[in-house]
Amino acid sequence: MANDNYGIALGMIETRGLVPAIEAADAMTKAAEVRMIGREFVGGGYVTILVRGETGAVNAAVRAGADACERVGDGLVAAHIIARPHKEVEPVLPAGKTA
Amino acid sequence: MANDKYGIALGMIETRGLVPAIEAADAMTKAAEVRMIGREFVGGGYVTVLVRGETGAVNAAVRAGADACERVGDGLVAAHIIARPHKEVEPVLPTGKAA
Repeated sequence: MANDNYGIALGMIETRGLVPAIEAADAMTKAAEVRMIGREFVGGGYVTILVRGETGAVNAAVRAGADACERVGDGLVAAHIIARPHKEVEPVLPAGKTA
Repeated sequence: MANDKYGIALGMIETRGLVPAIEAADAMTKAAEVRMIGREFVGGGYVTVLVRGETGAVNAAVRAGADACERVGDGLVAAHIIARPHKEVEPVLPTGKAA
């Protein structure tokens, strides 16, 4: 799977509105060596940004992203890290080509 | 039907936002021998993840998943188990291939 190239850990940031999501994506990719694998319009105005990389990098990226988007628009809903997602969960994650 | 291989019982977790849904999916598949059969964007920001397996495994998985996602983002909306869905209901369930 293409995801393997990007490291194992998964970082997610969910915001209310697109503007904080883009701000979070920018902060995350600038803060550490992570790859953006997807942007999902969940509905109800929620937008989720997903990144992958080494656990430490993802940790740093998600913290930076959450910090950055808190002050923008309607702000942060959730910021979360999964160090090693179960393989059953992989199919529901974006593959990283569309991002 | 392909579902038969995964056991009979059905477990469902619905959350507000995608991040708690992925966290729930990860916790469920790690907690017990269940298969993820789908992730549905319901609309209005609600996301549902569905698992199948033996009744006991699904029970353990849904409890673990509900616990895990409660603290993430806007959290849990519903966690439910159907030990033996009626065959008339099967067609509306995801088959597990698209997930």
